[in-house]
Amino acid sequence: MSNARELMKGREWMSKLDVPTFDRQMEAEGGCGVVGLASTMALPGRHFFESLRQMHNRGNGKGGGIAAVGLSPEQMKVSKDVLENDYLVQIAYIDSSVRKELEDRVLANYDVHATYMVDESDDPAVLADLPVRPPQVWRYFCRAKRDVMAKFVEERKLGSLDARRAEDEFVYQTNFGINLDYYASGKMKAFVMSQGRNMIIMKVVGYAEDVIRFYRMEDFTAHVWIGHQRYPTKGRVWHPGGAHPFMGLDEGLVHNGDFANYHSVSEYLAQRNIRTLFLTDTEVSVLLFDLMNRGYGYPLEYIIEALAPTTERDFNELPAEKQKIYQAIQRAHVHSSPDGPWFFIIAQNCYYENKQKLIGITDTAMLRPQVFALVEGDVQIGLVASEKQAIDAALRSINADHPEVPRQADVYWNARGGSHTDGGAFVFSLEDEKGSKRLKCSNKFGAPVTIDLKYDRKEDAKLSAPLPIASVTSDHNIHAMDGDKAFETFLKDVGTMDHAKVQAVFAEAVRRGKNGGKDLDEMLRFLDLVIDRRYDAGRVRRSRLTEKSLEAVNAIFRSMPRVEGAQANGAALVDWKDHELLKAPTKPGSKLLVDCRGFPMEGELGPSFVIRRAYELGWRHVIMFDAHGQRFFGCGLGPGTEGMRIEAYGNPGDYLASGMSGAEIVIHGNAQDQLGQVMASGKLVVHGDVGQTFMYGAKGGDAYIMGNAAGRPLINAVGRPRVIINGTCLDYLAESFMAGDPLNGGGFVILNGVGFSADGRPFELQTPYPGSNLFSLASGGAIYIRDPGHRVTPDQINGGRIGSFGKADWDLIRPYLEENERLFGISVEDFLLKVDGRTIAPESVYRKIEAVPVRSAKKEAELDDDEASA
Amino acid sequence: MSLVESKEKCVPEASWVPAERLKMINRYVVERKGSCISCGLCGSLCPYGVHKRIEGHASILPPFDQRCIGPSCSSNDFYCVKRCPTSSLSVSNSETFPALGDVRWTSEMVLGTWKMAETGKALPLDHPANVGACGGGFDQLHFRLPKGSKPVKDHEFTTAIDLNRRSRGPRVKIDLPIYGGGMSYGSVSLHTMVAKARCAQAWNTFTCTGEGGYPSELLPYQKHVITQVATGLFGVKEESIKRAPIVEFKYAQGAKPGLGGHLLYEKNTPLVAKMRQAVPYTSLFSPFPFHSVYSVEDHKKHLDWISSINPNALLSVKVSTPNDVEMVAVGSYFAGANIVHLDGGYGGTGAAPEIAKKNIATPIEYAIPKVHRFLTNEGIRDEVTLIASGGVRTGLDMAKAIALGADGVVIGTAELVAMGCVRCGNCESGRGCPRGIATTDPELMMQLETDWAAQRLINLYGAWRQQLGDLMSRFGMKDVSELRGRTDLLRFDGGKEVKA
Repeated sequence: MSNARELMKGREWMSKLDVPTFDRQMEAEGGCGVVGLASTMALPGRHFFESLRQMHNRGNGKGGGIAAVGLSPEQMKVSKDVLENDYLVQIAYIDSSVRKELEDRVLANYDVHATYMVDESDDPAVLADLPVRPPQVWRYFCRAKRDVMAKFVEERKLGSLDARRAEDEFVYQTNFGINLDYYASGKMKAFVMSQGRNMIIMKVVGYAEDVIRFYRMEDFTAHVWIGHQRYPTKGRVWHPGGAHPFMGLDEGLVHNGDFANYHSVSEYLAQRNIRTLFLTDTEVSVLLFDLMNRGYGYPLEYIIEALAPTTERDFNELPAEKQKIYQAIQRAHVHSSPDGPWFFIIAQNCYYENKQKLIGITDTAMLRPQVFALVEGDVQIGLVASEKQAIDAALRSINADHPEVPRQADVYWNARGGSHTDGGAFVFSLEDEKGSKRLKCSNKFGAPVTIDLKYDRKEDAKLSAPLPIASVTSDHNIHAMDGDKAFETFLKDVGTMDHAKVQAVFAEAVRRGKNGGKDLDEMLRFLDLVIDRRYDAGRVRRSRLTEKSLEAVNAIFRSMPRVEGAQANGAALVDWKDHELLKAPTKPGSKLLVDCRGFPMEGELGPSFVIRRAYELGWRHVIMFDAHGQRFFGCGLGPGTEGMRIEAYGNPGDYLASGMSGAEIVIHGNAQDQLGQVMASGKLVVHGDVGQTFMYGAKGGDAYIMGNAAGRPLINAVGRPRVIINGTCLDYLAESFMAGDPLNGGGFVILNGVGFSADGRPFELQTPYPGSNLFSLASGGAIYIRDPGHRVTPDQINGGRIGSFGKADWDLIRPYLEENERLFGISVEDFLLKVDGRTIAPESVYRKIEAVPVRSAKKEAELDDDEASA
Repeated sequence: MSLVESKEKCVPEASWVPAERLKMINRYVVERKGSCISCGLCGSLCPYGVHKRIEGHASILPPFDQRCIGPSCSSNDFYCVKRCPTSSLSVSNSETFPALGDVRWTSEMVLGTWKMAETGKALPLDHPANVGACGGGFDQLHFRLPKGSKPVKDHEFTTAIDLNRRSRGPRVKIDLPIYGGGMSYGSVSLHTMVAKARCAQAWNTFTCTGEGGYPSELLPYQKHVITQVATGLFGVKEESIKRAPIVEFKYAQGAKPGLGGHLLYEKNTPLVAKMRQAVPYTSLFSPFPFHSVYSVEDHKKHLDWISSINPNALLSVKVSTPNDVEMVAVGSYFAGANIVHLDGGYGGTGAAPEIAKKNIATPIEYAIPKVHRFLTNEGIRDEVTLIASGGVRTGLDMAKAIALGADGVVIGTAELVAMGCVRCGNCESGRGCPRGIATTDPELMMQLETDWAAQRLINLYGAWRQQLGDLMSRFGMKDVSELRGRTDLLRFDGGKEVKA
């Protein structure tokens, strides 16, 4: 059902307005940090605060904002009926002297059922952090005045519209008028900050977490939250008009990235009588969304297609019927599709469907970072963020209040932009079911994302209690075992263990680990395996065991002797408080344990410099624990760092191992973006996924990745990097790869295309590589891809070719696969070389993608040399 | 850092470094026929020293063409052609001369640059070699010069500028507002790179590695070498970042923004490949963006990464000049850059496609004042060093860039011309450089001798500095910082339609 014609006609007056021209985008900004969560339990702002604070360094303190959807009547000081049916219009008064006059205008248009000023903090510490005092924000719960509305419908010829939808348009146009007169006209005295039912948008000049603090939202609850750390490049920002989220009607949108075709999209909107007032591409984005949603009446899937079209091979892979529709959408929207790097998060109250939604959409080329996550159980939470650590920070905070919510999500994943597989977008939808909320997660096509979790909710929740370290019982099954044996025994028994027995095992691990020396090594080995391996977790959820294991690791490490004292036990602790006291190891072979909690994210006070100083002082085994997004681990040690080993627990941040030459780095869990840039040599092991541009410009080194890589891994790599990715990649694997001849010392990537079921068994993914661009423009190196079903086709390979896989190739990659088996337990004989239960020859399992020789360049050059010397 | 507060006491000596091969290219040709009796009359007549007879020699020396003022001399009574008793002499316009240059780099300008490189002496401010004839860019801008004043001595003015204007980090001052642009090992020879580094050392300024690694031959000059991190990340190693006083991020090259780089397989010789850690004789690509940087917070993270390797390095961000160049500049400032380096579209060697040069992005003479004023209005101009490059051909171009609002300039092609480049434009082919500058071919590169090339660069820098001093003295200025942003001193010579 489309109201587009009527709505556009009804906005003709707007087209004649003398509003600021969109010739130039005035509020230029690049990217930022974005985060969103949707929960079946209404969550207070203080949890979300932690997420925002984590992404502090993605903003510059010149703009932050949040949107909250699914509010409670009590805290909004209105009845349930008013909350759900009234439009909540929030006006920010940059100059409070215009309030009286503006309120008259509000009252002339609306029946206002409640109004009040939003509570502000008077804490001097909060105010001191804010560069500009935020505007007073007033809330008006209102419905259109009957007579004004009737006149509006008649004048704008909206009689054919459903009365409520006509009222939506009335609200939109009325508030547009307010923004026109009080903001865009050049006055900048007040603006409408949000308009919608059961939702608010709040924004400030400052960091996003300042919104929570200034407007006292620590205990303010909502079911859906989105937030934004802004990084405007313009220096002086004196009001939050340009901060995100931007409002549609009933929705708020935050955006990381920018458009190259801002002007074109603005013009497209102007041709449809939609005018922009804030001159940023984010405003344009939300207006575009509103046009397609409220105007064209597109289902969400089509809106997503119009924003991020399905292209290349992905388009060809769509069913014929879908191709027809998508082609029509793409033709219609060729001038409105935002071009450039962008990632949207939208919080939406779907009034007519009685749902609240959290939507994340990535651009077709996936140029911005994005991580999705899902927690199942009695409390379901869907999350999306620029960085994984922001997700974990929220969960950690929620866990403190609600232990049944695990500190780790059950599953994390990335969207593949413009793809036929997931469409590059995921929707978390909260729906009422028998009086309580249920969260449904689906991709662009509506296919549900579910986790096959079969755990005992009671046992799992009870396991969330702290480890009974003080009262270690003998009721455990790992007595005096070495780490591998302990893990084997634990795996065997965990299916029948209750929470108390599981607790006892971890408590025992802590007790023994605290002894240091060999006990520490063995118990760390045990805990590492619990974190790193995939297996059936029995009566509790798998992520809970990772949580317990990390709790045990932290407890052991924090009990170790401090580095500045008499080091004993083969390990010494350093933390933020006393990091300046770092000194040399007293015994060779000791481990330095760095407690990352509290350290800044980067800079000379960041933990990456602790590693540097430790290395200079002679430490050769450094363990970073409880990391929460700190960047640059392993950077700046080189050159020639053979013999150095770094391990990381928690969420080590971006650029880890970049520039590494010789050292070994092991990450117990997922890694983030930009790992191993220009890596020269050494070994990198990640027991999880890696993010964007993994090993960009790498020259060498061995890397073992248990899970997936996001976009553009190994781009522009030269020399001899040797990499195994056991999962798959989003797209653009090994673009411009220049790694010579792998059989003569060059580099290669082994892509296994393996997934893991909920009970930890490896399985073959539908295709090892779903993207349209594999090995594009590559002039050297090879990709060995496990593809017995020949799912990868030549149309995915731009410039390379599928060569023949011979014995020499197998001899080359076999040792790497064996090391891969040792590290991750992915068996060569029992899994990789088996297809449908039968053992198959390697050349029938692996395929080699190699460069097409360029006119035998070497020979030609040699020929020239001969001529020259002749 | 030992680069603290250099007082410019030691202006390097200029010395005469002629180029045998360049001697053949002159504006006029003076010919002496076999009928000459070596009487020496012409030698005693010519006030310019074209003819010279050495007592005791059987024959008079061949004429020094480059000193001749041409056929217009015929009105003088010392005109040698007229006075020669055997009518053995003739003076004519050279045929090579007009074929030498183009409208951007006129023949006069090429010869003038050679002359300065040879002698180290500044050309007069009204010399035709100071301005090109392209009808746009710097050629449409002229200083409103007050009538001549006394020549100034090289110690009577200061041309030093600060490269770090923030409160944090080491103080780095260069003695003249010029440093050498990045040209990678592979695109130019090692001799070229070392010559540039020697010049940088002599003048207490910098040269830049370009994107081809850091050859060990540059190590003795490391205090004067900028390490470049460009989009292909070739040759980027922790050790070359750790030793660099400045790290330059090349986001784009003004001559070919949005096009990336491409080292064709022929130029990727084994030595080049080794430096770039690549495989010989394969084509090497540099993408047009940093694939890890698609937004300003990525940009900051990228800079933070380099700081995590070398927290003492100054950070320079080299960008081209898009329409919103001022936003790029202010974003770079907030990301932590000390130097914002605007690279305009007039520069570029033969390796940049003709279709790209001058045709993409904002002209540099618009970009500089735009950024300068924007940063001033934002209140951060004094924390940023603004460097301009891309078609800074002469000392006067440099002065114009500064008057438009830059603190200093980076030069590239002018250095190559000083080394004898004839601007034939075959740079990309690897074996096409007739002077052995833009090649790593082991035989071709032997044409360029490092000492010779270094001294010619030192001479050129000195001549430019002196020109700047002469100009400043006309305006009554003593310090180059007084010139910055003085657009009022410039005259726009616009409105002249250049017919295609």
